[in-house]
Amino acid sequence: MVVSKICTGNYAAAYGSMRSRARTVAAYPITPQTFIVEHISEFINNGEMDCEYIEVESEHSAMSACVSASASGVRTFTATSSQGLALMHEILPIASGMRLPVVMAVVNRAIAAPINIWVEHNDIMPERDSGWIQVFCDNNQEVQDMVLQAYRIAEDKRVSLPMAVCLDAFILSHTVEPVHLIDQDAADKFVPQYKPTGPILDPDDVAAVGVFTPPDYMMECRWQTDKAMRDAVAVIKEVNDTFAKQFGRDHGGMIDPYLVDDAEVVLITMGTASSTAHEVVDDLRAEGKKVGLVKLRFWRPYPTDDLRKIAEKVKAVGVFDRAVSYGVGGPSFVEFKSAAFGLNLPVMNFIGGLGGRDVSLQDVRFMYEQLLEAAKTGKAKRDITWIGTRGVEQ
Amino acid sequence: MYEVRFHGRGGQGAVMAAQALASAAHAEGGYATAFPFFGAERRGAPVLAFTRIDEKRIYRKTQVYEPDFVVVLDEGLLESVNVVEGLKKGGVVLVNSTRKPEEIDVGIDTKLATVDATSVALEVLKQPATNSSILGALAKATGLVKIESIEMGIMQVFGDRLGPKIGEKNARAARVAFERTVVGESHGKRVLKTAEKWLPDVNNLPMGVAGVAMKTTAGAVGPGSFLENKTGSWKVFKPEYDEEKCTMCNFCWFYCPEGCIYRKDDRMEFDMDYCKGCGICANECPAEAINMVR
Amino acid sequence: MKLKELPDEELFTRGHTACAGCGAATAVRNLMKILGKNTMVVNPACCLLIFGATYPYLAWKVPFHHVAFENTAACATGMTRALRVRGKEDTLVMGIAGDGGTADIGIQALSGAAERNEDMLYVMYDNEAYMNTGIQRSGSTPFGAWTTTTPVGKVKAGKADFKKDMPLIMMAHNVPYVATASVGNIQDFINKFEKAKKMKGFRYIQIFTPCPTGWRHDTAKTIEIAKLAVETGMWTLYECENGKVKINRKPKMTPISEYLKLQGRFRHMKEDDIKKLQDWVTRKWEADEKYAQCRQ
Repeated sequence: MVVSKICTGNYAAAYGSMRSRARTVAAYPITPQTFIVEHISEFINNGEMDCEYIEVESEHSAMSACVSASASGVRTFTATSSQGLALMHEILPIASGMRLPVVMAVVNRAIAAPINIWVEHNDIMPERDSGWIQVFCDNNQEVQDMVLQAYRIAEDKRVSLPMAVCLDAFILSHTVEPVHLIDQDAADKFVPQYKPTGPILDPDDVAAVGVFTPPDYMMECRWQTDKAMRDAVAVIKEVNDTFAKQFGRDHGGMIDPYLVDDAEVVLITMGTASSTAHEVVDDLRAEGKKVGLVKLRFWRPYPTDDLRKIAEKVKAVGVFDRAVSYGVGGPSFVEFKSAAFGLNLPVMNFIGGLGGRDVSLQDVRFMYEQLLEAAKTGKAKRDITWIGTRGVEQ
Repeated sequence: MYEVRFHGRGGQGAVMAAQALASAAHAEGGYATAFPFFGAERRGAPVLAFTRIDEKRIYRKTQVYEPDFVVVLDEGLLESVNVVEGLKKGGVVLVNSTRKPEEIDVGIDTKLATVDATSVALEVLKQPATNSSILGALAKATGLVKIESIEMGIMQVFGDRLGPKIGEKNARAARVAFERTVVGESHGKRVLKTAEKWLPDVNNLPMGVAGVAMKTTAGAVGPGSFLENKTGSWKVFKPEYDEEKCTMCNFCWFYCPEGCIYRKDDRMEFDMDYCKGCGICANECPAEAINMVR
Repeated sequence: MKLKELPDEELFTRGHTACAGCGAATAVRNLMKILGKNTMVVNPACCLLIFGATYPYLAWKVPFHHVAFENTAACATGMTRALRVRGKEDTLVMGIAGDGGTADIGIQALSGAAERNEDMLYVMYDNEAYMNTGIQRSGSTPFGAWTTTTPVGKVKAGKADFKKDMPLIMMAHNVPYVATASVGNIQDFINKFEKAKKMKGFRYIQIFTPCPTGWRHDTAKTIEIAKLAVETGMWTLYECENGKVKINRKPKMTPISEYLKLQGRFRHMKEDDIKKLQDWVTRKWEADEKYAQCRQ
């Protein structure tokens, strides 16, 4: 039976971890992630979730406990945000280096300074090269569904990597919208019982996880992890299809394109800006403008091939970044330019929504207008535009 | 360009020797670099250090594969390490040894010099720190740098680290060793077997470099496999055991950091394949049944 | 268990690459005999990691885990909870770390795990400095000791501060078991690990393990120095079992100069500094004794 309920993104994430039968959760509270750990605690204390909850004293210990629990053969879950993610930073590449399928919800929030609790993607951008698969959601349904899919992807033997499910602070974490909550039987059918992907810590079958490794073995080890990330692309698509078949919801795999086939210009977005842009695209289409939207779902692995195929067919591409790599532009913009290398088309970067500044319909419309202009002239007005930033030329 | 490879053990100061040699060459107006084999070796374990010397700036930051000169600070290493690996034709080997060059077999025919650096160090420094003496011998055996430059290099590197007085003493040790170095030829017959290394490719390396038990062409790996590593070659002194005096108190068995003393029915057995010669067993034996001998 | 009853089988094998005369190696191979095969080990960055587990070789014959430096107790928590999920609660999880990994960078995770009374044995092998990185001062380094970050210079020489009292800090966490041990006191060592093995909840044992390389002493003197540390009062052998504190050995109060003179790290110490340290030791022993009386 399909139950639809009005709930927050935080609830959807917590619920997804329960239905995936995470057996060890180690987490530390941080705004705006707090409700995730509260919901999980409630599930456990109400007897709905059979799980060891570790009330660690920091995010560093949260990730450490998850890594070691995963290395000891159980399914784990955690959640964090911003400064908490930064404190975990040291342990993130350890999870991927050990090839442990830890799943984490990341509520994206600005990184200090200045201290700020609102949405921004600058917290996770430094983790780009940490070996974590990263998916950005634009609605609460997707948050729940992606937690379940995350276990399927991360625990696939071809992958065996940790995965982060990202949701925008407040815009998803604290906003309620209807979510089809998956029941346990259906979840069990989709996420099978946990089988470790590699050797684990077990007194009955002795192995070591995390041994000091000399140069003689490092290149091979790194290559394997790199291959796993490359192989993850196919697995992500497979899992998306399997999910769509069972639940009737297709989130799109690596990317979710909207009205791209005949589009003259497309905008690439991540997270909830995609949702807002969706509406603007409809408006512009009604006005007869050939605009499309590419919702960039997976940030790692990066959908290089999918994006290039789209770029080959359009006259201009815009990339919206809710983050900035100081002095260079938005991280997503930089990445896309690399994917589109050699293609002769204007690419414009729009940086906006930092630290919780709203991304409005007008903002998105402005971006499309700029792109349409660039498509007409064949030239971008400027490479990087800081949306709505006072005193900065638009 | 000349490349020198130092073979020593952790704690013997091979790196300082390599640096002092670089300093000596630099003092002569040349360009020089010195570096250790970057690792995490403990005191007593075989280590490597390198010096490169040239008249012009040295750009390469690679490891040394074909040294012109090889310096062996610890003769015991000849048993476990192929010290002449990659040695250039016409190269020179220098060994800290009481023996004559022709008595030493490094597996190839080569110019070889010896010096009893340990005795020199004990005489001059009152301790067996051979890393300065060996540099004096290197000056004599190779002519790579002048002994006066070696003295300067030692005073600089050792002096900076350990104080000017100790620097001067070490320079004197180098001078004495310079005088006592014997240069000759060695005709090697011994077949030196380099221990095979297990180097799996990307398809065979366990995921995440997990330490799982496996039999490989190079022996066992995984849990308990350090047994493959015979640490017995580290020792200078070894325990001599008097069964008659032993009371089987088991103290030595407990205290031994290696676990290389075994309990038999009525005696203890000492496994020299692993004993590092620390001397704890002899120091703690209440019956004085153990003595450390060279 | 008596010494002669300890099993022959080594669960931490020979061939490891610890320096000759390493006190930590003596501690580890013996405590593993007591804890036995049904043990999983987590160990941070420290000497023991390198000399016991350098790929592809391992001295450990039990499951071994390394994650980072400051998180031993958090990792042990993850392991012990996972074992509970898997119905293997009889398996002992041991976190074993050096003094830097415990008293300094690891104290946050340690305190958290102790406060939660996680089911684990946490062992600190105390060699009183960061030996793995080359003998730098730690919170556990004693007053006056030379290290490479407290070098003997013209203006300052040796550590200016006193050793952090970790056992007391751990006792303040009100955990089931806190004990100190020494590689020099065999029966006491065996008793404590045997006792800890049988208990549940958070257990902490701090072992005094001399380091010839870092302390600048003759490799043969490791055990002699460990014993002297106890007899001079530098290291109190005591335990706190379910809140009750017991002194296991009353020191002879041998002057600390006997202890200091065997070690190069103290060689530079002037008389007034030795006196300062002696006063500290005397006061510490008196305080330990009184503390034990209060918590009988």
